[in-house]
Amino acid sequence: MTQKYQIKLSRRESLKWVGALSASTLIPNSVSALTMAAEKNTGQGHWPKLTLSPINAKGYGKDPNLLIPPKSPWPKTLTTEQLTLVAVLADIIVPREGTVPSGSEVGVPDVVDEWVSAPYSRQQHDRLTILSALTWIDDEAQLRFEQSFVNLTEQKRLQIIDDIAFEREDNDNAFMRIIPAFARFRSLVLAAFYSSPAGMKDIGYMGNVPIMGDYPGPTEEAMTHLEQVVKELGLTL
Amino acid sequence: MKDKKHPVIVVGSGAGGAMAAYVLTKAGHRVLMLEAGRNYDPKTETPMFKTNGEAPLMGAGNVDKDFGFYDATVDGGWSVPGEPYTTGEGSDFLWWRARMLGGRTNHWGRYSLRFSEHDFKGKSRDGLGADWPFEYEDLAPWYDKTEYLVGVCGTNTGLDDMPDSSDGILQPPPKPRVPELLIAAATKKLGIPTAPMHRAVLTRPKDDRQACFYATPCGHGCSIGAAFQTTTSLIPMAKATGNLDVITDAMVKNVTVDQQGKVTGVCYIDKQSNTETCLSANVVILAASACESARIMLNSKSKHHPSGLANSSGQLGRNIMDSTGTGLGAYIPALAGRPRYNEDGHTANHLFIPWWGHKAQEKGELDFPRGYHFEIGSGFGQPGSGVSSGLQGYGTALKQQVRDKYGSSVYLSLRGEMLPNEHCYMEIDDKVKDKWGIPVAKFHWKWSKHELNQVAHGLKTAKEILETMGATIDYPLPSAEKAILKGGQIIHEVGATRMGDSPKDSVTNQWGQTWDCDNLFVMDAGVFASNPHKNCTLTIMTLAMRNATWLSEQMNKGAL
Repeated sequence: MTQKYQIKLSRRESLKWVGALSASTLIPNSVSALTMAAEKNTGQGHWPKLTLSPINAKGYGKDPNLLIPPKSPWPKTLTTEQLTLVAVLADIIVPREGTVPSGSEVGVPDVVDEWVSAPYSRQQHDRLTILSALTWIDDEAQLRFEQSFVNLTEQKRLQIIDDIAFEREDNDNAFMRIIPAFARFRSLVLAAFYSSPAGMKDIGYMGNVPIMGDYPGPTEEAMTHLEQVVKELGLTL
Repeated sequence: MKDKKHPVIVVGSGAGGAMAAYVLTKAGHRVLMLEAGRNYDPKTETPMFKTNGEAPLMGAGNVDKDFGFYDATVDGGWSVPGEPYTTGEGSDFLWWRARMLGGRTNHWGRYSLRFSEHDFKGKSRDGLGADWPFEYEDLAPWYDKTEYLVGVCGTNTGLDDMPDSSDGILQPPPKPRVPELLIAAATKKLGIPTAPMHRAVLTRPKDDRQACFYATPCGHGCSIGAAFQTTTSLIPMAKATGNLDVITDAMVKNVTVDQQGKVTGVCYIDKQSNTETCLSANVVILAASACESARIMLNSKSKHHPSGLANSSGQLGRNIMDSTGTGLGAYIPALAGRPRYNEDGHTANHLFIPWWGHKAQEKGELDFPRGYHFEIGSGFGQPGSGVSSGLQGYGTALKQQVRDKYGSSVYLSLRGEMLPNEHCYMEIDDKVKDKWGIPVAKFHWKWSKHELNQVAHGLKTAKEILETMGATIDYPLPSAEKAILKGGQIIHEVGATRMGDSPKDSVTNQWGQTWDCDNLFVMDAGVFASNPHKNCTLTIMTLAMRNATWLSEQMNKGAL
């Protein structure tokens, strides 16, 4: 049994998030198995037809406070169920590795929620893609195992993910739409993870610290590596 | 203040306006500066050390903040609420504006390359466009003074596209980083040079500004004053003379003239109260940006100036040029998984690729007359909303792909010179007014074969450079028509009030003084006679310094 995802107040703390969340069960987040059955057998697999209520919130405007960014720039729209599914998927995409936290541990679902709830065109476009992907994944779980995705065993979850997480020449037509949609979701999860302090450390970003005196340039190790690369390419520094 | 006649009114607080105000106030003249945007103080407002993860949408750009959440631009970007502009049928043009003290100097790229004699005399060489009404030698000492005051890091290269600065002018440039060094190795094989970029970023302290500490992108603004912006330098220095007054939220509507057509002052809308105020002045300097100054002049029609103020030549609003822009990037497998270090540097190009084709153009080997340069996008940047493409799978294997690809892509951005043509101009849209009741600008745009051929050459060359670094580019390059960015998109629009030798084909003389009104000056990029590929801000400031000095002398002599 998967625990419900608890929003992370640490990422950008706000009590407003709680309020926004409780008022945001408006999104039709799944289609019934019957609807799906009707859309099956097209040779293209199933695909949810979501009718999303438009996001009418305002953006943060052209002069936001940059030192203290708006805590909750617009109401969040994902339901607890959707957040929990995002958390489970985030931890498949970015699992905990030793002391490096997982996606959900660094608040990826909150970032995804903020993203898909944003009133801007790029995010609204992603919202349809990502909510469709989430719905598809749950529909697929129901079709294959008659259970929601979060209630599946790890092994059954991965059976589905293995089918949709790789772009291959011989991908089944049934996964033609979910593969790029999942890829978009995966990119968002990765961005949310790697822009967190733990993610920046994991990727090896070493900047954003003040240097006194001249910029030191590449380290000796970096230069040795470059020299090797240059040599292998038949070039000279 | 509103009752007396101002010796000088400067419209605009960006590169040109702030330099003009600095020079004049230092020379003892009283100046009133009008800025259409709000007051802005980088010392207290710049988001230093803030991470993308702390920003909404991981800092990603949108219609509110086109260049990302932390971009310094206030109340501006590609759109300004309530202040639209229109375009003619079939014309794509984007007009970036900032509504803040310091204007676009708060977020610019700080690339500061001198124009050369070659650049100033294009028409004499190839018959196209217009020559500038002076020689490089006339401007060289002013470039020195400007670079020294502004603080520019870089080196003298001796390359024909990069005139040298005098000894002791430039500050030392930062060391190049690994991807830049690899590009330099690749271009060397192709006979193409690389050089330290010249940037208006202090690597040594100056006045009360600190040296760069190599963190926080300059586009966010710079609270320590290392990256040049007028709000931490020229404006406070001018204020310190006691001779400068500044009114912000003052949207200038028109320039007023008397019965003889001589300029008497300006009228502006106070944005807070939405009321109009008219001020009188002995001299008016427009430095509101090339197209905003032209808009003000076109909106200042009178009996003596029936087609717009100082427009007897008919050139007002004509000859608009942007830089050409396109780019090509690729994954460089040899850089995958390379050793980590802090690669922020001064957060933009340490090395770039200057134009190397003067001789080839002289020999007629190229099918485009004017040059370009490449800027380099690379490095271990701070993670944000963008993620490398081509990822597969999930879990630890996926994370390894991300780590391997980090810092292993290179992007070459072309910035090239365009020529003026009859299809690129602005006028006043007589059907649309902004929220202040001021008629808006309407832009017309069309690239010519000169720009398209240049872009095609740039794409081919970029591909060659990337492939020399081991990249695989196995798709056909886009056509130049598709690849070229929109007019205005590089934010180097110039030429709408161009200077020249004759009142017949130019709006101002070499001093930025309009031919038709001796007490009206233009000191922004509107006066550019051509638009060399090297970014306009350094030359805007250099001309403003030179021409404000000349104006000061005229005022002292009692000529104005």
